[in-house]
Amino acid sequence: MIQKIKASKSEKIILIFIICLAIFSLGSFLLIKDKCLFVKNYDPKKIKFDKPNNIAVLNVPCGNVIIELYPEISPNGVKRFITLVKSKAYDDVAFHRVIKDALVQAGDLEFGKKENINYGKIGTGKSGLGTINSEVDAPFNFEKGSVALARTQKYNTEDSQFFIVLRDEPLYETEYTPIGKVIYGLKALEKIKYLDKSQYVLRPDYINTLRMLID
Amino acid sequence: MNLIRLILISLFIFTQLQADTIYNLIKIPNLEIYEINKSNKLRYLYAKQPFTIGIDNNINCFNSEKKILDEKYKIIQKNLDRYNQKFLKKINLKYIVLCEDLSISNINTAGIPDNVMKTLILDVKFNEKYFERVIHHEVFHIINDSFKEVFDEKVWSDFNVKDFKYAECSTCTDKIGLDTYKKTEGFFTEYSRSTASEDMAEVFSHLMIDSNPDNIDPILEKKIQFIKNNLLKIDENFIL
Repeated sequence: MIQKIKASKSEKIILIFIICLAIFSLGSFLLIKDKCLFVKNYDPKKIKFDKPNNIAVLNVPCGNVIIELYPEISPNGVKRFITLVKSKAYDDVAFHRVIKDALVQAGDLEFGKKENINYGKIGTGKSGLGTINSEVDAPFNFEKGSVALARTQKYNTEDSQFFIVLRDEPLYETEYTPIGKVIYGLKALEKIKYLDKSQYVLRPDYINTLRMLID
Repeated sequence: MNLIRLILISLFIFTQLQADTIYNLIKIPNLEIYEINKSNKLRYLYAKQPFTIGIDNNINCFNSEKKILDEKYKIIQKNLDRYNQKFLKKINLKYIVLCEDLSISNINTAGIPDNVMKTLILDVKFNEKYFERVIHHEVFHIINDSFKEVFDEKVWSDFNVKDFKYAECSTCTDKIGLDTYKKTEGFFTEYSRSTASEDMAEVFSHLMIDSNPDNIDPILEKKIQFIKNNLLKIDENFIL
């Protein structure tokens, strides 16, 4: 005969504690897994812009980043950027250089494409359109969210790579060609994958799409 | 003891990558911004801690007391304010690093110019007597390095008397006196006799601070004209 054993009070407390712990762990796991949980996704169609022709929409894993371009500050830099955006060249291109809370860099069209990423050469690729001259003479406040063209150690080597600063960088004025500023969605860029030990990211996040608001 | 070691190792392993903007720009560690809101867009940086750079880590400089920095900054910026943004861009000078006891391969030096990195490192504790002149002397090296073809050393050397020869390099001679000669004989100072580029830099720096002796000999007069004419080739509005 099987005797039914009643659980003691302390056993019941332990059981409840284990159940709570399991729920908490599962909840935390889901929260941590979804890095975009608290990131607001902006819909550019619901926002009114003063200069809609100068608006570019960068779609990244955590949503839309809306950039206002400044052709009056860097006409050639913005022209190059728009040319590449309109040809959809930036789609599926890696954020290959990311420094936590400092900057995200993307735009290596040669070695940064998702389908044939080259970790050995990423950051050195070209667009095929040639380099353009730096436009660094106009005053520009490199505050958080500023978008600029990347270059090599030398001026006049800008091509397709661009970066967005995630903090104020006053020393970048007269150093890099500014092309615009993020006006909505900077939080989505703060969630781009980075590594603690290196600026260059292994298995990076990618640009989903980059489009002009008005094509 | 083991616990302390473990903590130290953990700190080393888990310390996150720090985004050092200044290092990324000019490859000199341990610097902070001193002043960047200047009309000529020069960026003044100072050593927060000692730093070592260069091939085989042969360049060393140390952090300075704030009082000394503040004092010397006034002199440095007063002199460098004479160069406008357009000219500085042409010669490739943007960052001024302030530190003390600057040395290269254990030889003390007033400044180290690097036109590739757009940087001039200045020793704020360099001899007060020559301090202002030395600032322009080092700026000339930046000018010269950016316009080697303009400041032709062969043409310059031919100004000197026939049997005169410069040393192989500025540090392989004991001609290091910086006092201005009363009787010039083709050179402003003893250091002018070291190399052609140091000679040019001495002429330029004397012109900049207007410390010419009363009587300039014909050789030195030619050298002065050479510097003046070539500066106008770089910037037609350059004022000495």
